[in-house]
Amino acid sequence: MKLEGEHLFNGPRETVWDMFYDPEVLASAVPGMDKLDLVAENTYEGLMNVRIGPVSGKFSGKLTLSDIVAPESLTLTVDGRGAPGFAKGVGRVKFEEADGKTLMKYEGDLNIGGALASVGQRMIDSVAKSMIRTAFETLDNTLGARLAAKSTGAAVDFKPPTQTEFASSVAKDMFGGFTKMPEFRLLLYIIPVVTALVIFAVVLKNCGG
Amino acid sequence: MSNRVIKKSIIRNEDPQILTGQAQYLDDIEFPGMVHAAFKRSDFAHARILSIDVSEARKRPGVIGVYTSADFGDYIKPGPLQVPPPTAIKGATFQIRTTMPIAIQKVRYSGEPVAIVIAESRYIAEDALDDIYIDFEPLDVVVDLEKALEKGSPLVHEDTESNLAANVKQERGNYAEAAAKADVVVKRKISVDRVAGAALENRGMIVLWDEKTQNMTIWCGTQSPIGLRNATATRLGLFEDQVHVITPFTGGGFGPKILTSLPDDVLITYLAMKLNLPIKWYEDRRENFLSTTSERDQVHFCELALTKDGVILGFKDVFYHNSGAYNPYMMTVPLNTQSHTISNYRVPSFYTEVNMVFTNEMIVTPVRGAGRPQGVFVMERMMDMAAKELKMDPVEIRMKNLLQPHEIPLYTGIIGQDFVEGVLDSGDFPTALNKAIEMVDYKKFRAEIQPKLRAEGKHVGIGICTFTEGTAVGPYEGAKITVGSNGKVNVATGISSQGQGHYTVFAQIVAEQLSVDVKDIKVITGDTAHFSWGCGTFASRGAAVAGTAIHFAAVKVREKIFKLASKLLEAPEEELELSNGVVRVADIPSKSITLGDLAVWANPMRGVMEPGMEPGLEAVAYYGPPYGATGAGCMVMIVDVDPETMAVKIERLVMVHDCGTPINPMLVEGQIHGGVQLGIGNAFYEKIHYDETGQLLTASFMDYLFPQATDMPPKIELGHIETLTPLNPLGIKGVGEAGAIPTPAVFNQAIEDALQDSRFELLESNLSPSKLFTYFQKAKGS
Repeated sequence: MKLEGEHLFNGPRETVWDMFYDPEVLASAVPGMDKLDLVAENTYEGLMNVRIGPVSGKFSGKLTLSDIVAPESLTLTVDGRGAPGFAKGVGRVKFEEADGKTLMKYEGDLNIGGALASVGQRMIDSVAKSMIRTAFETLDNTLGARLAAKSTGAAVDFKPPTQTEFASSVAKDMFGGFTKMPEFRLLLYIIPVVTALVIFAVVLKNCGG
Repeated sequence: MSNRVIKKSIIRNEDPQILTGQAQYLDDIEFPGMVHAAFKRSDFAHARILSIDVSEARKRPGVIGVYTSADFGDYIKPGPLQVPPPTAIKGATFQIRTTMPIAIQKVRYSGEPVAIVIAESRYIAEDALDDIYIDFEPLDVVVDLEKALEKGSPLVHEDTESNLAANVKQERGNYAEAAAKADVVVKRKISVDRVAGAALENRGMIVLWDEKTQNMTIWCGTQSPIGLRNATATRLGLFEDQVHVITPFTGGGFGPKILTSLPDDVLITYLAMKLNLPIKWYEDRRENFLSTTSERDQVHFCELALTKDGVILGFKDVFYHNSGAYNPYMMTVPLNTQSHTISNYRVPSFYTEVNMVFTNEMIVTPVRGAGRPQGVFVMERMMDMAAKELKMDPVEIRMKNLLQPHEIPLYTGIIGQDFVEGVLDSGDFPTALNKAIEMVDYKKFRAEIQPKLRAEGKHVGIGICTFTEGTAVGPYEGAKITVGSNGKVNVATGISSQGQGHYTVFAQIVAEQLSVDVKDIKVITGDTAHFSWGCGTFASRGAAVAGTAIHFAAVKVREKIFKLASKLLEAPEEELELSNGVVRVADIPSKSITLGDLAVWANPMRGVMEPGMEPGLEAVAYYGPPYGATGAGCMVMIVDVDPETMAVKIERLVMVHDCGTPINPMLVEGQIHGGVQLGIGNAFYEKIHYDETGQLLTASFMDYLFPQATDMPPKIELGHIETLTPLNPLGIKGVGEAGAIPTPAVFNQAIEDALQDSRFELLESNLSPSKLFTYFQKAKGS
């Protein structure tokens, strides 16, 4: 599957770049990530819990950073394997300055296999989008905390969302889409009207005898 | 002698047992101390195995053993061929790469087993699978049929020069000359995609080794119990009769259950002996999709040469066939395609060439239809394209080219799956087409009904196709019939049953000869201890081939009855009559004997037996045809298409079918209903989808769709013709796969007719509403 998009960070490019280079920040941004350790230069190994629909399990993987042009661009290569299957991907990330803010552009390819593909594939698109959205939210908050800490000198302390928090945010994504549908609003009008009609009918019946 | 029981729709012998939950299916069987197997399967479609770490799995409580190829040593080798190679076809080239029971250094399809766990329960076994860590080095994947044959393509089997598993060319007449003389040559690329058998009951087996008696019992819902027994005995160095295969009641076969020497029967039998424990293995649905063979994937490049009046001069078909990662079933499926392309038309020149290709996908072996639907699909679509170009009605062009009764029997010049030249042995194809036209009132539909509905804004279309079905192929089947002292009759044959009604149909054949009530005839199928010779249930051959063997055995028993009764009742055979299980002298009713008493009398325990006499009222008989019998038919569909959502409603479905003598007409209809449902699924809902990295994306019924009751037409209207085959005394032909064969072709024709846009051509099967929508938009835009 192809992934691409962009995100505007509320901070200067150097700070955003440093944030990406911090394994604790990267680990915190991905929901379900248990640990991410730097094992060699620009190479991380990590453990992650994955849940996509009926498929869940532990994933272990390697994340490699390459083609590094600080603070403009880098390539991330991911190779994860576990009981639920495997995921291999390459993502290219660019950071552009935009009036004191930073525009991050990304595009990449992700190959999924095993149970994730054979049973989870209809959910992968929406789960991937949710994961990316949550990751950016976390990163935005981390960035905010860091910038605030810079000005006040206080230590940065930020907790990533847990699995349950993530799951509920995915549900909110899906339900939120539902509430925006015009049909849903119609339902909100129809239900009370129908209820009123039923009550009216019952009352009439009893009065009529 | 008119039929007493044959051609009667007698309700089934097996139903009371099945419907009250008394029938024993595989999962009902349990033993004390039984352990369970689970397979660790590769996620990657093509990868080298660098290392396998099973240490964690072995430590899990409840795990009895975890085995990889290293633990089996020399026992692991490529399995035997399931069918012989086509040495009968001149010029055929092929490479044999049969199924590996477990991957050794490389995996070649997603789902290939790499390790097997034996544990106290299936739950523990599956948990242990997650403890196994395999280090794979992924390799480039081969999935495109044409690219697989290009120079430089990755090789599925590194010891081959190319991914070409086989090339078979067959020709009759001379196509090049025909094309040169033709007024019109229509060319198209047509494709059919993969479908699964997806039987209601998944595959499984229980193996019990008895160390004391040195005997093995295997319970398995196999379509080939004798094949399974023989392959297992050979592999383990045992006598055939040391291995007893029992086929319990089975929830459907549809093709994939014919295979033996798969990882399951190779490894589990070995481990059952080694561990001296009964082992059970049973798939869940996801494992079934990943580990069970499927079929259909072909891409055809066709040319149809005709005169300007629509008379066919020649047909050329060069096609690619996806074999999957291994080819244990060799050429059966594409040979069926080659021998069913022309089916019931007059085609003086026919050239067909198949390239079978190894890919990193599941192995291809027959699924109901077994290559025939592809041949018929291609021919019928080309007829429709020609009709469009020549501005002829689809019925008109077919009528013009159908073989007439006086041209039958016809030697086709094309060799089929039984390695002999195919023969259209009997059939009346124009009558089938005319009957279908009459049943659906085609003329009125075209002249009045369709224009009226179109004026109302409806998109209604009609499709009509004809087909043949090669059935009842050899080599042979056999049967043993024994009259018991209870006066009832025991029938045993080597094939197995999957729910089609053998327990009734075979009883009817016997009842006809022995005048015993159908309910008093016990049929045993699929138990190698009761009958030890046979081939299996495939190619719509059970009723015709095993049924004929049963008929011959019944005739022999009848002869014995009369011979012995004549001696006992002291009357000549001509004066005896047999009815309701009693033999009596015609004019002296008091001189009679029941069959039960006669059976006892026929087995003297003391005294002297006449030389040449065999004990008991028992006989064994075999039957093997010289070639298959030709079933045929015509299907018509009227569909209503919503042009915005591309939802398709089948308003009417009419099928006229010829299966020779229908032993039990109700069961014939049941077979057709089942085939039609599968055919509708193949046309519009079902598709096994492997992505470009060889990952299976449809491994559950969320993604692999079946037509449900609401997707089926309100009723399936059936008409029958009987042209008896001369190949067996009862005139029976097969019917098991008939409903599945023409359906996708009819469906596509009907939709094209409904949407009425000549730019719109549906040249592939396995459609869906979204695909239809995309294609239609593209056609309008172009």
